[in-house]
This record gives sequence, structure tokens and C-alpha cells, in this order.
Amino acid sequence: MTTAITLRSLTKTYTRGGETLRVLDGLDLDMDAATFYALMGPSGSGKTTLLNLVGGLDHADGGTITVGGEDLDQLSDTELAEWRAENVGFVFQGFNLLPVLSARENVELPLLLTPLSRSQRRAQAERALELVGLKDRMNHKPRELSGGQEQRVAIARAIATDPQVILADEPTGDLDRETADAVLEMMQRLNKELHKTILMVTHDPQAATYADKVIHLDKGRLGRIDDNTTAAAEA
Amino acid sequence: MPWKLLLRNVLGHKVRALLTVLSVAVAVFLIVILQALTTGLSKTLDASASNRLLVQSAVSLFVDLPLGYQQKIAAVEGVEAICKFQWFGGRYEQEKGGYFAQFGIDPDTFAVSYPEVTIADGSYEAFARERTAAIVGRKTAEKYGWRIGQTVPIAGTIFTRTDGQPWQFTLRGIYESNSPAFGENELYFHYDYLRESLEQGGATGPEGVGVYMLRIADGADPIAVQRAVDELFENGPQRVQTTTEAEFNRQFITMLGDIPSLLRMIGGAVLFAIFFAVLNTMLLAGRERTRDLGVMKALGFKNGVAAVLLVGESLLLCLLGAGIAIGLAVAAEDGLASATATFIPGFELDRDTLLLAAGIAAAVGLASGLLPGLRAARLTTTQALQELA
Repeated sequence: MTTAITLRSLTKTYTRGGETLRVLDGLDLDMDAATFYALMGPSGSGKTTLLNLVGGLDHADGGTITVGGEDLDQLSDTELAEWRAENVGFVFQGFNLLPVLSARENVELPLLLTPLSRSQRRAQAERALELVGLKDRMNHKPRELSGGQEQRVAIARAIATDPQVILADEPTGDLDRETADAVLEMMQRLNKELHKTILMVTHDPQAATYADKVIHLDKGRLGRIDDNTTAAAEA
Repeated sequence: MPWKLLLRNVLGHKVRALLTVLSVAVAVFLIVILQALTTGLSKTLDASASNRLLVQSAVSLFVDLPLGYQQKIAAVEGVEAICKFQWFGGRYEQEKGGYFAQFGIDPDTFAVSYPEVTIADGSYEAFARERTAAIVGRKTAEKYGWRIGQTVPIAGTIFTRTDGQPWQFTLRGIYESNSPAFGENELYFHYDYLRESLEQGGATGPEGVGVYMLRIADGADPIAVQRAVDELFENGPQRVQTTTEAEFNRQFITMLGDIPSLLRMIGGAVLFAIFFAVLNTMLLAGRERTRDLGVMKALGFKNGVAAVLLVGESLLLCLLGAGIAIGLAVAAEDGLASATATFIPGFELDRDTLLLAAGIAAAVGLASGLLPGLRAARLTTTQALQELA
């Protein structure tokens, strides 16, 4: 199995109120392609920081990050933006759909950064919505959708450009159990059927069971990695 | 879609957008009118004739000069023609708003002194022959639908008839002017009709002449004539002040103060007020859009797009306001020109004024959008996403 994400000696510090916090402390990690990872750990363990660095939203203070063969630490902010547009899909806790755009237009948004024609963009956005079972709601504004539907639209937006990596930050944090399970099943399908590499930050142990592997962070370092697939096979 | 998003963002807060657009519209409308007044003022002064001088009392324009001065002034070397001007200050009985001035003049020297005035309808000769005749500017004639030969009743406020009736002027000519310095709203009648009425007890009012207009002979030095006339009455009985027509118009227009500076100050204040109002709206919009901009940046949109969305929104609001203001100003042009005609005959909404208004609105839009735009561009994705939490 090929490696999708490689982290070496990754460090990141923040200064808050005059105090320097070492959020990531020399982290080494390899993540396989087409694998669903859950990232767990107590608050302040560096989960979201790691997600931001892997997604090219922030720069590390030290170490290297390689995603899909690209060394992110070598890219400028502009180059990172271009790289994100092509290679990563994001799913946020609060859905973060643009309220003034319809579901289809929200999904179409990242496609504006591709060379696709208007009709091709529209067709691709509709395909993505069909994949998450919301084609019939594509002309609805976010406020006209339920929380679960909003998150499914956000997932459709994340896969619209067909990125190899999907990063999700507490995607089920704002959903009830039943809806959360439906969303997690959908993410599992994206992993199994479309072979997406998924890295999902979560506090919810039940959500983590949907992942193939669970990475536990502790004070900016790797704690352990649990393999759910092995555990399931043994069971 | 960023353009569609921009438009949707504007329409996302319809009331706020409407109020901002209306604020800009009111401010730009005011600026357009102030600019048109200033331009009209300049045109009026620029078009003033260099071969005409005006003699008034050194005390005030409201103090009349003795009738006997006419012959003495006429004898000054370089004076080719002299014409009396007496402000009548009457009111037309069926006035529709927009005051028009009336003056008593000398018909025999008036025509030769003002070659820019031509009779479009009727006859100047008929006017000059008949003691109670009058000529009126085309705009006022059109406004009231006056025809040649009809009698126009004007109630005197300075010069009142002893029988309590209004003055009756028979319309013998409708004039046009090809100079912005000479308006097409006034009514001119025989000064001698007024003088005779006063002398015969048919009317009451101040005796004398408000202003003497002097036409300078070709080749004569206006400054020398000016000085000679002033020196003539240096020892009384009443001192005079002789000025060029441009200076006289300037003084007449600015009787209430330095109007051009006042207009510019008001315009500047309005400009600042609207700039801060739009800036406030855009800072609020920028703050509200932090989440959206953070998400867009995470998706791969560059910093410039975030700035363009806010600057574009500001520009759109201001240009919409300017469009409304310009439309209103054009619709109100005739009414405003009529209302200001007596003081500023050159009032006109020219292309430069409208372009200036659009330019000012665009500049306010760009300047107001700049600060929130820069803030949006500088905002890092992680900062924006943290603000969500």
C-alpha cells in the first residue's frame, strides 16, 4: 500500500498571552493511501493543528510534511492555495456552507478554480450531490436544509474536485447520533468505493469506529495507532 | 460565480443594502447639485463681458444713485452708452414657484449694450416705442405660457401703486440669450414708466437708480473709465463704486458670503460623511463574511479574491447610489435651473458634473472597501476558521 501522508519531526508552536505552547512536538507519522483515519486525543493535543498542516492551511515551524508526493513546507501561501484546490477536500464541524448560495452552487464553488466549463461544473456538482443523496435538494439554500443534509452537501463540496485526501474536523460534532452515523457511513463509502484517504478529527469514540485506523495524539506526540480492521477481523 | 456571490452578498442584507444605497444617493445628489451650482457660477462669471462696467453706490447695492448722475457718467471719456437698471422686486400674481426678477431699463441703450440678447418672438422696436411694454426671457414666457400682446400683472413690493392694483406690462418681445451670464428668466420694462408713475403720484417707492451700466467704447481702457467715474463722485453727494461686469456678478452672487467656498465645504463634508457610512457598512459586512472568506480560502481561493469580493460589494453599492442620484438630478434639472436662474443663470448639469459624481461615488466605493478588503486578504485561513469556533 502506498503512503499518502508522511510527517517527519513535525513541530508547531503558538504564542498566546506571552506563553509559548508547543502544540506538535517532533511528530513522525506515515499514513497509507485510501485509508480512513480517525485522529483522537484530549483537547490541546494538536489534532486540529495537525489537520491544518496536512491540509496546507498553516505552516509548520519545523519538520516536513509530504502529501501525495508534494513537500508542503516548500510551498508559498499562493502555491498552497493552488495545491489545496486540486488535492484536498475539507469537511468542517459547523458545515460552513455559504448561506447565500444554493446547495448546488456551494458544491460548485471549488470547481470555479478548475478549468471546467460552466456546464461541466454544474454537471459535476450535480453528480457529487447525487452521490450524497441530495440531488433533489440542490436548489435549496443551506437554511432550508437539516443539519445532516447540510453536512452531506459539505461532503459533496469536499469531493467535487475529486481530491485524493479528505480532511474532516469533527464532522459529526453538531449532529445527533442517528444523523452522525449516516454521515460517517457516507464517509466510509467514500473511502471504500472511491478510495479516498480520509483523516477525521473526532472526540467521539463511536465515530472513530468507522475509521480503519485511529491515531491517538498526546501532547503533540504520537501516542498509539489502533487498527480497527485488525480488531474487527479478530472479533 | 464570485460575481454571483458578490451580488448575493449584497442582496443577502436587503434592508442594509437599500439604506446604504439611499444614503449614497442622497449624498451624491447633493454633491451633483452643489457642483452644478459651482460650475454655473463659474460659467456665469467667465461669460461676463469685458466691455461693460457697472456703477453702484459705494455704500451698498441697496442704496439708489441719483438720476442726475447719468449725464455726468455719460460724459466720461470712453463711455459709449449708459443704461439704467432698477431692481423692481415684484411678484407675478399666478406665480408657479421659481422667482423671476424684473428690472426697469433704458430701451434705447439696453439693446446696443447687450448684443448677446436677441428677440425670438415679437419686436424690440415695439417694446421701445410703448411706455408700458416689457420683454421677457424665453424660459419664463414658456413657463407661464405668455404670448406677445398679452398683459402681465405684476404686484410691486418695493414700488407699489397707489390704487392698490398690480402694475400692468404689455408683452412686446420674448428674448433669448446666447450667454450663460445673461439669463432667460427676467422681465425688462421701461425705467421711465416707473419714474413717471412715481413723479405723478401713481406709485410710491424709492427714487433714483440702482445701477448704471456703462458700455465702453472699443479701444477704451476699462480701468481708466472705472477710475474716472469713481473720481467723479469722490466728494459726493454720493460716492460710487464702479466694477467690471464679472466683479459685479461675483459680488451679487456672493452677497450672502463666499458661496463657492461654502458649496465646496458642504460638498466635502457630505463626502466624508458618506465615506464613513459606507466604510462602516463594509467593515460590518467584512466581519460577517469572515467565516465565508475562511472557507473560500480553505477551498483554494486566493487572498485577492477575498479582497475583490468586499471592494466589489462596496463599489456596487456606491455606483447604484450614484445611478439613482444622477437620475434624480437629471429629472430635477429644469426645476433647479429655474429656481436658481436669477442668481446663477449658468446652472446646468453638464457631462463633466455627472462624470465627476460617478467618479466620486466610485472613489468612495473603492476607499470604503479597501480597509475591509485588505483585512480580508490578510486574514489567514486558520484565523478565520478559529473565529468560527
